[in-house]
Amino acid sequence: MSGFASFALRRAFWIVATLWIVFTLSFILMRLVPGGPFDEERKVPEEIKRNIEARYRLDQPMYVQYGEHLWRLIWHGDFGLSYKLGDYSVNGVIAEGFPVSASLGIFAMVFAITLGTTAGVVSAVRRHSFLDNSLMTTATLGIAVPNFVLASLAIVLFVFTLKLLPAAGWGSLKQLVLPAVCLGAPYAAYIARLTRTGMLEVLGRDFVRTAYAKGLSERRVIVRHALRGALVPVVSYLGPATAGILTGSLVLESIFALPGMGSHFIEAALQRDYTMAMGMVMVYTLLLLVMNTLVDLSYAVLDPRVSIEKL
Amino acid sequence: MSLNARNVYPYIVLVLGIASLVWAVSFGTLPPADFAFHNGDEVKTVDPSKATGQPEHRVITALFEGLYREWPFGYELDEEGNIVNYPEPDENGNYPLEAAPGVAESSDLSDDGRIYTFHLRAEAKWSDGSPFVANDFVWSWRRTLHPETASQYAYQLWYLKGAKEYTLADVKLGDPIEAELSDRPRPDQTFPRGTIRRGKLVGIARPPEPQPASDASDENQEDVDTAWKKRWVYVVEQGSEVAAFSKAEASDGWTDFVIDWLDDESRQLPATVATCLYMLPDFEATVGVKATDEHTLVVTLNNRTPFFLHLTTFYPLFPVNRQCVETHGTPAWTKPENLVCNGSYKLQFRRIRDRLRVVKNPEYWGTKQVNLETVDVLSFKSETTALNMYLTGQADWITDVPSAVIPQLMARKEGDYVPTPLLIIYFYRLNVTRAPCDDVHVRRALNMAIDKQLICDKVTQAGQKPARSLVPPGLPGYTSPQCGVFSVDAAKEELKKSKYWNQPGGIPTVEILYNTNENHRAIAEVIQQMWKNNLGIDAELKNSEWNTYLSSIHSKEYSVARAGWVPDYPDANTFIDMWITDGENNETGWSNAEYDALVQKAAEEPDADQRLRWMEQAEAILMDELPVIPIYYYVSKGMVSPRVKGFFPNIQDQHPLYWMRIEE
Repeated sequence: MSGFASFALRRAFWIVATLWIVFTLSFILMRLVPGGPFDEERKVPEEIKRNIEARYRLDQPMYVQYGEHLWRLIWHGDFGLSYKLGDYSVNGVIAEGFPVSASLGIFAMVFAITLGTTAGVVSAVRRHSFLDNSLMTTATLGIAVPNFVLASLAIVLFVFTLKLLPAAGWGSLKQLVLPAVCLGAPYAAYIARLTRTGMLEVLGRDFVRTAYAKGLSERRVIVRHALRGALVPVVSYLGPATAGILTGSLVLESIFALPGMGSHFIEAALQRDYTMAMGMVMVYTLLLLVMNTLVDLSYAVLDPRVSIEKL
Repeated sequence: MSLNARNVYPYIVLVLGIASLVWAVSFGTLPPADFAFHNGDEVKTVDPSKATGQPEHRVITALFEGLYREWPFGYELDEEGNIVNYPEPDENGNYPLEAAPGVAESSDLSDDGRIYTFHLRAEAKWSDGSPFVANDFVWSWRRTLHPETASQYAYQLWYLKGAKEYTLADVKLGDPIEAELSDRPRPDQTFPRGTIRRGKLVGIARPPEPQPASDASDENQEDVDTAWKKRWVYVVEQGSEVAAFSKAEASDGWTDFVIDWLDDESRQLPATVATCLYMLPDFEATVGVKATDEHTLVVTLNNRTPFFLHLTTFYPLFPVNRQCVETHGTPAWTKPENLVCNGSYKLQFRRIRDRLRVVKNPEYWGTKQVNLETVDVLSFKSETTALNMYLTGQADWITDVPSAVIPQLMARKEGDYVPTPLLIIYFYRLNVTRAPCDDVHVRRALNMAIDKQLICDKVTQAGQKPARSLVPPGLPGYTSPQCGVFSVDAAKEELKKSKYWNQPGGIPTVEILYNTNENHRAIAEVIQQMWKNNLGIDAELKNSEWNTYLSSIHSKEYSVARAGWVPDYPDANTFIDMWITDGENNETGWSNAEYDALVQKAAEEPDADQRLRWMEQAEAILMDELPVIPIYYYVSKGMVSPRVKGFFPNIQDQHPLYWMRIEE
């Protein structure tokens, strides 16, 4: 297991270093954008504006603010109070938004993997059939159509025409179906194509021919022997797919009025809510880095040619 | 990695996948609410002292209640909440509102119109069951006015005597003051405060004023200034004792300080200087609000303020619970589990950018008259999503619709998109110090040459109403005088009377200035066409971004400029008194002595009706001389389900939940 331990240590170091760089860059970039968080259309008396800025310590020099923010984050894991949502701390908003985005992401991911691998395997096994052609045409379409267009079409069809699903909102499984499907669909399509290609390659291999020659049933050959090899490219795609699903949810959360991190992220950026935007950036970064690490780990487990020491 | 791990791996992944899926779908479900409405983006806060904005207004008005509350004129409910009388709308579909008793049962006004005595309801309670007392208002208003609260709406309370000075920490020699020592129980919380020392300010010692550096920016200069003021030492007489306070840590050298004494130059600085956080005017002695007993509140204003009762219905003047704020601190006191309020609803649940769930407050004095038991306040930004939810029955009321679909919504057979005029006006300012708008005949001609109906029908398209007065219709008791109606012939006749008619070179070109915006441009283009076709006057368009636009207006570097006016309170005065000679928002150079006199008369008039008559006479002058051309009145853009009763469209676009009921 020493290989695993050193892998974990190395990764942890790089994750921390990346987070620190992201923190510093975001801190500087946010303050370079013109317009402060407390610029209002209605003119506020100068004294009152000063008091507001003092409350959030915006009257301090930049390096003091940087030091304080970094210290509070490292020592207390605290991003501070939101500048714009006066009743909330950033940690509170993340605590409320994260489960929503996570639910949506998990649902979309499970949907994408299940549908994608099934369609890919079916296509590969029945290659050049009508089924294969139609599945792959759909997959190409699914990759080409952006998720917000898909969402609009889905709303027209399932909400207004068929009246099967609610238009928006959060709180029940029914309300999760449309956004999760729209979010997962392009990835399902991509996974389907990857699985098909991987499967075709594996099915031509000697060990598959041997398995057939031994008299094993087709189902057993495919599920027990061929599928594992075919899935390696799919697993390596899961890293980028997670990133895509995370960022894709920004758009879909707005369309379906889901109270997830994506909605908070967009608003924080638009409203110059420095602390909130920082919190969101850091959580997204951490999430991506952790997911990538997990994918690398899976890769090592699935493919004997990959050694964990070299990751 | 052993082969073993490789074999187990698919199963681990499978189990993890199923586990996360189970977690993902296992969120708690809320029972549906009786009523749901879309409130726009998440409210920034439910703290009445810190909020600004419309969505906040709707939520805070449900949770808290002021001395008075807005109520549709003639809407009567019996004790049990059954409708006794349901009023009829005016010709625009609006219902007039009045300031009706809220926490206060009644009020008396002194003869000079400056002192209100409010009699609070004995049965008024907080949502935790504790009794509501007059001191709750005193404490809450003090909190709103306190400089550290940094309330952007503190100025709504500046009608009170001494209130502005308190917020701006404006202390002068001889004033009664309060000094707060730096011994707060929690330094990051304004309340509870540290030890308060009260007394009379008898001396101020100032260190030498720093010389402004020649290259310092204004911002830096202000910082230097603030640091300098922080070192001032205040000498305060408390009975026979004299104490000194400074906001800076005890300062060492005194020798170079210059001391201003109130009277007796022989006074000496005390040996020690105590550190204080704030040096403010003594609230109890200087600010015009007092609780004379548990249920009597006396409010002293600077001037006669006829709209003050309406102001008390506005959330910056709402009370908050001292116990709750001091126990939990800001912002934790606003959490649903902590919040103690006094309005018709209380906060049950809040998920950010999803909803606030409010439920009827059983401790509210009028709780039997409140019809909706649970209400969801949907908080997200997209108007399109809100419209989808309304159309599929997930929301009963949406407060704004996307402009692009308004024509389709107006054609709906349900008839549930009914725009009604609001107390907001779109108008053009004419610079009367520049040719050709210095000639009243030209101004009248320009007005009559604009087909405002066409602008509303073809350009703005949301049901806006063409305007012939500056004060929008619908204020009770006030009838606006009208300016000239659209008529090409009359406009030409009027133009012939002008001094520019038949002049060599013709009528000078006008320039229409507007801030960069698609809608403003479209309107300006249409008006440009109308002036050209109907009068032969050439107009040029000029757009600039907001700040440049503002400074052009302030310096009168324009001939015609678009403008809008959203009033702070529902009273004609807010539209009228800005046009007095050199008024802060006049900006047209227009001046009329008779007009000024009428505005002054209205301000001093004790009789409410006569006051409106003076203002009508003033507006008549304005609509005859036309330093401004009214174009259209804004309209509401909300939609409400036909099953909702008690919605009462009104010029202020206010729809408190305690009016509403559902008829199946």
